Amino acid sequence: MIKFWQERVKNPISTKNLECDSKLKEIKKELKSVIGKKFAGSLAIRMVSSGSCNACEAECNALSNPYYNLERLCMHFVASPRHADIILLSGVVSANMYHHILNVYQQMPQPAYIVTLGDCPLLQGVFQENFAIKGAKSLGLPIAYHINGCPPNPQEIITGLLEFLKSLG
Amino acid sequence: MRAQRLIARFAIENSDNFEIVTVFDDEIQREMLDKDEPILKSISSKYTIATWFERKIKDDFGIKIEGAYDNRPLVHHERFPNIYPMRKEFVEKDIEFREFKPYKYETVGGEGVFEVAVGPIHAGIIEPGHFHFSQEGERMLHLEVRHFYTYRGIEKTLEGKNLLEAKEIIERISGNESIAYQLAWFDIVKQASDLKYDEKLKKYHCLLLELERIIHHLTDMGFMPNDAGFGAALSFASKLSEDTRVLLQELSGHRFGFGSVGFEVKKYDKQKILNFLNTLEKKVRWFEDWIIDIPSLWDRFDFTGILSKQKAKSYCVLGVIARSSGEKIDARNNEFYKKHGFVLQNELVGDVASRFKLRIKEIYNSIGLIRNFIDGFTKIEKPIKFDDAEYMSYVESSIGELFMFIKLKNGKIDRFYTRDASFINWQALYLMMEKDIIADFPLINKSCDLSYAGNDL
Repeated sequence: MIKFWQERVKNPISTKNLECDSKLKEIKKELKSVIGKKFAGSLAIRMVSSGSCNACEAECNALSNPYYNLERLCMHFVASPRHADIILLSGVVSANMYHHILNVYQQMPQPAYIVTLGDCPLLQGVFQENFAIKGAKSLGLPIAYHINGCPPNPQEIITGLLEFLKSLG
Repeated sequence: MRAQRLIARFAIENSDNFEIVTVFDDEIQREMLDKDEPILKSISSKYTIATWFERKIKDDFGIKIEGAYDNRPLVHHERFPNIYPMRKEFVEKDIEFREFKPYKYETVGGEGVFEVAVGPIHAGIIEPGHFHFSQEGERMLHLEVRHFYTYRGIEKTLEGKNLLEAKEIIERISGNESIAYQLAWFDIVKQASDLKYDEKLKKYHCLLLELERIIHHLTDMGFMPNDAGFGAALSFASKLSEDTRVLLQELSGHRFGFGSVGFEVKKYDKQKILNFLNTLEKKVRWFEDWIIDIPSLWDRFDFTGILSKQKAKSYCVLGVIARSSGEKIDARNNEFYKKHGFVLQNELVGDVASRFKLRIKEIYNSIGLIRNFIDGFTKIEKPIKFDDAEYMSYVESSIGELFMFIKLKNGKIDRFYTRDASFINWQALYLMMEKDIIADFPLINKSCDLSYAGNDL
């Protein structure tokens, strides 16, 4: 363990990424004030895949890495829909996932919001409706916001979430 | 006699019969079935992993399997409509759900034995899949893996498209293996046309594949210790994997390499890549040196989730899992790769620790390979005409050997079939649980890091 601390002291900030940091700094204040007002300072996100290619999940995992570190922006991923304020829904909503997604929504405390992630849920990408693909619209649930991209990169997800929060009015 | 390795088993619908193709490592068997009353003789008593292949054939085509010990639906879930989607006569798009029909799980009975159902939606950020445990206290007696929640009907969707149109769907079958899928596609394009494969282009493609492997291994290098309660490793490794992903974006124009395998080498800064590789190698060495000194971590890793070589062989497992158990299977084991510094990596025990160490070894090897794959820029003519025939391709993805089959008819895809390494490895997952408690399951599962989307199609 001593090796770790030696390295830690020698190279204190190893995740300096000027371009990304300056962008995040800009929206950090805004994010904090919006989340502070509307979600008492902490936004709980439940990420649900409904038949994606796992790229969207990989990008959401990347949000927790030292570069983006979502938690310093007052947002965190939770393990259950019962703890969540919003669902981040990725994937095409396959026939086999359809009823499970409805189930997740029912378990959320109200008010609950659905934010769709990536081109898949609204069938804007390469996957089109077929016998196995239903699409998020067929769920009949209100979709509060949509984040574009195939897959949207971590920065786009953060700015997308900010836009969503602003859209709540 | 040496036992053959089963690679894939799938059906093709011809105009007057069903054709069952069984691919082994040294031969391809074909069997014709009557179209009105198709009955297929099961080989699952000899090859356990044939079970999923046959259950899939049954769900897709409605072919009856004779002598199978497992006749439950695989792809069709409780409310999935009663259809055989892969038949040519099936063209409908919108289908009503059927009434709920319960699925009978494989369970162990007896006094005090209870069941634990996990999924399809998991606590972490991961794709959907279901794990059904039979427990005796903390000890796992049995595990059934049930998947196909992300079933998107890709095989059917691709029918009727030409090879070039099919690409953007093929590269999105499984995001973290996208480049491997694209290379399998490219290999088939090469076979089907009069394309002249430039050596420089080949090197560029292999470079991207190795970069994808490094990203995948680095991610696991963080998540495995994290699942054993050592979060610092995740921070360190996820930083490295993010750095590598940024490099992949610079090289290919996309963070996951979507659309990167094509007919030209994009311009890139060679020195920058070399510098990056040097830093990466140094950091991975530091990481290895650091993590080897954490005894509580190795207490969790060592002898957890053992898959013996014998079982790995009889289940025909592939990729990282096979190599950690001492099986020497790697689709890269050929002259071209060896010439550029490929060495087949091996571990012997087959436990979580082996898979962890193997990933680190493979990162070093991939770094060496990339150094040798750096070469000049080139561009080749895009083919227009494709010959009708059946094509097969093998690529070593970051999970294991990827098999792809495409049959062209009138220049269009008549049958598309692909078998991700995960499809076979998922079936062998329960073997690793024998001596462990349920708390070890996330760790064992992560050490294999299989794809759900690639498995489900």
